[in-house]
Amino acid sequence: MRSRHLSPRTRALLFLVIGAVLLTVSGFIGELRTYQGAQVAVYMIAIASIILLTGYSGQISLGHGAVMAVGGYGAALSFNLWHFPFAIALLFGVLVGAFGGFVLGVAAARLSGPYLAGTTLALAVGLPTIADQFHVLGGEQGLNFDIGDPPRWVVRLEGGDFTQYKWFFWISIVVALVALWGITNLLHSSYGRNWRAGRNNAVAAGLAGINVARGKVLAFTVSSALASLAGALFALLLGLVTPTAFPLSLSFAIVTGAVLAGVGNLAGSIVGGVVLVAIPELSGSLTTHLGNSQKVSANLPGLVMSSSLILVVLFMPNGLRIRKFKKQVKTQ
Amino acid sequence: MLVHRRTKRGKLAITLVATAALAINVLPAHAINLHKVDGVSQSTITLGITSPLTGAAAPGYNKVPYAMQAYFNYVNDNGGVNGRKIKLIIKDDAYNPVLAKSVTNDLVLQSKVLALVGTLGTAENEATTRFVNDHGVPRLFVNTGYSGFANATKYPTTYTLLPSYVMEAKIMGQYIKDNFAGKSVAIIYQDDDFGADALKGFAIAGTKFVTKIAYPSGSQADPTVVGKWIGGLMAAKPDVTIMFGVSSATAAALGGSYKAGFKTQWILGSVGGDGTTIATVAGPTAVGLLYGAIGASFLPAPTDTTDPYIAQFQAINTKYNPGVVFDNNVLVGMNSAMLTVEALRAAGPTLTRASLLKAIAKSGSTFASAGFAPLGYSATSHVGYNGYWFGTYGPTGAIKPIGGTYSLYTTDSGTGAVVKATSTRPAMPLKGLPNN
Repeated sequence: MRSRHLSPRTRALLFLVIGAVLLTVSGFIGELRTYQGAQVAVYMIAIASIILLTGYSGQISLGHGAVMAVGGYGAALSFNLWHFPFAIALLFGVLVGAFGGFVLGVAAARLSGPYLAGTTLALAVGLPTIADQFHVLGGEQGLNFDIGDPPRWVVRLEGGDFTQYKWFFWISIVVALVALWGITNLLHSSYGRNWRAGRNNAVAAGLAGINVARGKVLAFTVSSALASLAGALFALLLGLVTPTAFPLSLSFAIVTGAVLAGVGNLAGSIVGGVVLVAIPELSGSLTTHLGNSQKVSANLPGLVMSSSLILVVLFMPNGLRIRKFKKQVKTQ
Repeated sequence: MLVHRRTKRGKLAITLVATAALAINVLPAHAINLHKVDGVSQSTITLGITSPLTGAAAPGYNKVPYAMQAYFNYVNDNGGVNGRKIKLIIKDDAYNPVLAKSVTNDLVLQSKVLALVGTLGTAENEATTRFVNDHGVPRLFVNTGYSGFANATKYPTTYTLLPSYVMEAKIMGQYIKDNFAGKSVAIIYQDDDFGADALKGFAIAGTKFVTKIAYPSGSQADPTVVGKWIGGLMAAKPDVTIMFGVSSATAAALGGSYKAGFKTQWILGSVGGDGTTIATVAGPTAVGLLYGAIGASFLPAPTDTTDPYIAQFQAINTKYNPGVVFDNNVLVGMNSAMLTVEALRAAGPTLTRASLLKAIAKSGSTFASAGFAPLGYSATSHVGYNGYWFGTYGPTGAIKPIGGTYSLYTTDSGTGAVVKATSTRPAMPLKGLPNN
């Protein structure tokens, strides 16, 4: 697909620079924007999980919202029940999600197209309601996930005005950059090449000695790990996990974000994340200007999201690309 | 390693643009706060509400914010509050705590509202608690019966309005003891905190059940689930059956038992007992199924035009909320809006978040409202109404008090006794315009 690479060292440097810039920027922006920035980072990870799965390994999932829920519940549960430190709780959420993804991936490797879409869709519908069934998961009301105030050293470093949202922003940005850096490296390794080969022509890849089925299971596992990482951060931002926080529409939203980003383009996850946060925001302020009527405020966000999706699919089928000279990804 | 120069530039460009995109999204925030107090100017008081306007929970509840807006517009047309007009910013949260949190951020940080009023849903309010507490934003008359929000230490800026589900169940248990002594009782309840609170209340009241049917929220849409409820009831043959769920579950239970020819005395929880909401979720014919059931409420029946509050609110609804059927949702909205106006008036002309909270703590218990139960607000209590009356549903789904008068039971969310109330409701201020 593409032969161009940054050297791993340059790539690492690039991510470090972006991180440094963003953390500095956080000092100059308001609380609202820091929260939105954190949301963008979380959506970026979620969208990257879809891009990896669909764009690189050629599988589809309409159920990644449910995988996010697994990550969120895993993190919150281990944090509350076993008092894991926050970072370990996050990792625990990722591990649980990855395991779930592995199990699902084994089934998914046998399915493709609409059958896979249907199976994962069922997951998105069913899984969050399971939380209602178990007392330990807190039922409809969910579990609290309050990591408390930012640590003292951060507050001292930054001065007294260090809000909780800014702390969320820092965590989300750092985690997102580390995750995306890891995924970029993975996609540039033999694993990434094998996934693409299997996606483009499974028979040819098999003849070349690539175990396509194993590759698919691995891709599903890694993608689920990413999605559950996003879910755990999602829960962090929310301060709690509930079944209603992971509705079917979340699964669709991240797939929409991935389509807008261009499913074969990992860097596009940034665009996708920004769009997912910006659209409700824009339509919200538009609604206020249009007179706050019930019909408008109830329907405008959906209208804007759907019409931009249709427009992108019609006119920019490879997503809102920034680079013109990049060859379009050919998917079979 | 050979690196193509143009490519390298390209990579760099995309990253820079992407960073810029993120930064732009994050940027123009540094808005300097010109007015001294958030949400209050010389001429305006800005308030905010989050509520489901879309999604499964929207039918019925989506009427509440617009009823509040209608009442505020009525007050504005009659001089406003201390010369200021009230502006209510309504945000849709689709009954999703994630959305509730981001629109609450918008309301507080961007629209700079003075207070949140009538915000709906337990998880939705819980998700914003930390933020609301940190910023000292008053969150008045929350639209949820979860008893936890009355904890003034944990939720220092939150005031509840609805009696808790525990209170409702305790009172229902007492009513059954008084009127159906010796009869067998069954319950269908939602298998979550809503239902758990109810069971807690019935346990305190000492209600014994011949069968308890729990269902996961949402499963009432599945006819086989409903079939199991009815099967369970027919096996247990209760004289009295309590339905403690949302409107769609009430409609499913009543419809299922009608089809099966199963007869019992239904007692409906207040959450799932609104006739127009049932008509919206289950079709107009479903309303007839309510006929003969017993229901509980703390506000007067929305159809009772002999009640001065109802008559006044209906008149306001006709003029300021045209085309909207006056039901319990509209009533709840207007009633909360009236209490809000009284709170704003009590805070005086120098209105701040702190003065608003202080005013409710000081004089909130004397505010006039349509509710029959007294309001429990004080410096230490954030509990709103604490009582219910019982009525029966007529063939059109309208509820009428049993025996023709609203006889009220009151209690608390703990183990306190259920008593028949003796307090009288404050008279309605002239034309429904607060004069406190």
